[in-house]
Amino acid sequence: MMPCLAIGAGLSPRIQSPCVTGPDGQEHITEEAGITAPAGAALRVEMLVGEGEGVAHGQPVARCRDHPEVCFTAPMAATVASIRLHPGRKLSEVVLFRDSGGDSHHHPTQAETPAALRRLMQGAGLWQSLRRRPFGGMPAPSETPSALVVMAADTRPHAPDPRRALKGHEEAFSRGLAALATLTEGPVILCQSRGDALFDKGLAGGRITTVGTGPRHPQGLAGFHIHAHTPAALDCPVWDIHAEDVAALGDLLATGHVAATRLVRVAGAALRESRVYRTQPGADLRGLSQSLMLPGPHILLSGSALDGRQAHWLGANDRQVTALPREAAPGKRHWFLTALTRSALPKPVIPTSALTQAFGAALPAVALVRALASGDDETAMKLGVLSLLEEDVALADYVLGGEADLARLLRAALDRIAAEFAS
Amino acid sequence: MTKGLWDRETVATMLMAAYAPLAIVWLWFDGVDGAARLVLALVISGGWHLVFMLARAQPPSLAGAISALAVAMLAPEELGLIRLTLGISFGAVMGELIFGGWGRNVVNPATVTLSFLGFGFPAFGWPEFVQPVIWAVLPAAAIGVATGVMPAAVIAGAAVVTGLAAAAGLPLVPVLPAAGIVLVLLVCDPVTSAATALGRWLNGAFFGGLVCLFAYGWDGAAPLQMAVAAALLSSLAAPLFDEAAIEMWHLRRRRRLGRS
Repeated sequence: MMPCLAIGAGLSPRIQSPCVTGPDGQEHITEEAGITAPAGAALRVEMLVGEGEGVAHGQPVARCRDHPEVCFTAPMAATVASIRLHPGRKLSEVVLFRDSGGDSHHHPTQAETPAALRRLMQGAGLWQSLRRRPFGGMPAPSETPSALVVMAADTRPHAPDPRRALKGHEEAFSRGLAALATLTEGPVILCQSRGDALFDKGLAGGRITTVGTGPRHPQGLAGFHIHAHTPAALDCPVWDIHAEDVAALGDLLATGHVAATRLVRVAGAALRESRVYRTQPGADLRGLSQSLMLPGPHILLSGSALDGRQAHWLGANDRQVTALPREAAPGKRHWFLTALTRSALPKPVIPTSALTQAFGAALPAVALVRALASGDDETAMKLGVLSLLEEDVALADYVLGGEADLARLLRAALDRIAAEFAS
Repeated sequence: MTKGLWDRETVATMLMAAYAPLAIVWLWFDGVDGAARLVLALVISGGWHLVFMLARAQPPSLAGAISALAVAMLAPEELGLIRLTLGISFGAVMGELIFGGWGRNVVNPATVTLSFLGFGFPAFGWPEFVQPVIWAVLPAAAIGVATGVMPAAVIAGAAVVTGLAAAAGLPLVPVLPAAGIVLVLLVCDPVTSAATALGRWLNGAFFGGLVCLFAYGWDGAAPLQMAVAAALLSSLAAPLFDEAAIEMWHLRRRRRLGRS
C-alpha cells in the first residue's frame, strides 16, 4: 500500500446534523426523478423519447449530439413527464414519473475488448460517472487516460462510507475494476480508507495499487491523490470514478442491467433525523428529505455542505443530500458604509495552519491561492492546479469564511487555461 | 453556505489574543509611559486606516493595533511626539496601507517604523526589558503556534541556529531576550514571513543567523537594534526563501513523478 498524503493532514469540519436513525441503507425510490447535465457542463443532446412516453429502467433517454455514442439512461422505469432544453438543445432537465412494476432495459454484455467496454459504458449511461482532469466533466468517448483513480473513500462531512456501499457487491467491484483497468495502460490507483483489501492482489495482472487515506478531509477527495501520485497535465488526462460506480459496472457486465440504486446520506441542520438510503440516481431531493425536515424555511443541496449546490435532483456524481436552514437575507447596510469598506478587490487571504491543512498539506497552499487570486495561470499550473476541481478547494473556501471565492477563481483559471493552452 | 472562521479579522483577533500576555506584562511594568505610547500609536495608526478607508474603500483591520503594540514596545525611548508620529505614519502608510492593507503588504509596518526610527534618529537609546516581559514571550508564542496563526517553523529555525551558535561559544546572552521579543512580535507575522514549510525554516534560520552575525560583529549597537535590523532583512528575504522552497518542491516532484 502506498502512503497516504501526510500523517494527520486535513481538517474535520463540524457541520451540524442529527444522528442517523432508521434502517441502514433502506431502499427509498422517489416518485419523481430528474436527468440533468453534470454540474458546469452544457451538453447538447438529442432526445430519444418524447414527453408522455414510457421508458424502462436503464433505457437510453437522450444522447449527446456531439458524441452520439454517449447516452443518458432512465434511472427507473418511468413515464417521461417533461423535457426542458436550453437554447441550442442543451440539456436542462428531463423529469420522469415512476411507473411501478416497469421493465428494466437489457444492455448487451459483450465487452471483451476495451472498445466494446467503452461502447457498453457509453450506451448504459455509466460514462457520466467518469470524471476527467484537467478541467473536469466526463471524458471524450475516445480519450485514453494516463491513469485511473478509483475512490473508495470519502471524507466530506456526513458522506456515506463507500465500504458500506460496496457491502454485498465485492465480486462486482472486482469485476468492474478489472474491466476498467483495460481502459488505460497507465497506473490504476484505488484510494481506500483503512481496513481490509477490497480486491485480490493479482487482479488485472497486479497493475492496481492501493493508496491509504486518513479520516480527515480532504484526504478522501480524488484531486489530492491525483496530485500526489499521478498529476494530471494537458496531455496526460487522469480519470477518477467512485468505487460504487465501479461495482455498478461490474453488475452491468454480469447481468446487462444498470444498477438501480446508490447509497445516499441525507444530513444537515434543517433535519429532525438523518438517514442513509439506497435511492436512484437523479432522485427527487424533496422526496428524500420531506419526512425528515424540521419546520421552517430551508434549502436543499445536492452534495455536501462544503461543495454541494442548490438543486431539485440528485446530481450525477453526488451521494449526499444536505438540508440547511435558509439564512435570513442580511440586513441592508447603509450605502455610505458599504461604499467605504467594500473595495473591488476581495479581502486578502492570511496564511495560517488552517489554510495549509485545508489543502491537505499537499501543496504550497498560499502560493496557489495567490496565483489564483492574481490570475497567474502559469504559476498555478506549476503548483498543480490541473489536478484540482472545485470540490478540492471547497474546504479552503469554507475555512476562509467564503471570502476568498476560490472555487470561482479556480474555475476561471481552468477555463482560461483550456482556452489558451489546451486548444 | 456554512462558513468557517479563518477570515482576515479572525486571524488578527487570534494574533491579538496571542500577544495579550506580552502586552499585559509589559504594560504592568512600563506603566503610564508605555500606555501613553500605545495610545499614541493606536490613534495615529487608526487615523491612517481611516484615511485609507475614506480614500480607497480599504476596510480597516485589527492588525493595525498589533503593529501599534509592537511600535509602542520596541520604539527608541524619549523620541518625542513629532518623531514618533512621523515614524508610525511612515510605517503604517509605506509599509502596509499603500499595498492594499494587511494581507497584501510585503514588510511588517512595525518593522518599517522601527527601522525608520532607528536609522533616522540614531542618537536615541533603545529600550530594555525586565525579565517578566521577556518570559511573557513564551505564552505569546505558544498561543500563536497552537492556534496556527504564527508559523512554528520560523521560531524553530531561529531557535536551532541561535542554539547552535550559543553552543559554539558566541556571546549571544545579551542579545537573546531582545531577539526573542522581536521574533514573536515582528518576524512571526504570518503575512510577511515565508509561507512554505521549508521557506519558514529558512526564514527563521536566516533571522537567527543575522542576530548571531550582528552580535558578533556590530560593535556599539543595542541588542534591540540588532534584532530589528535582522527582522527587516529577513522579512525582505522571505519571498526569496519561498521561491527557493517552491522551486525545490517542483524539482522533487518532477524527479519523482516526471511532471508537476
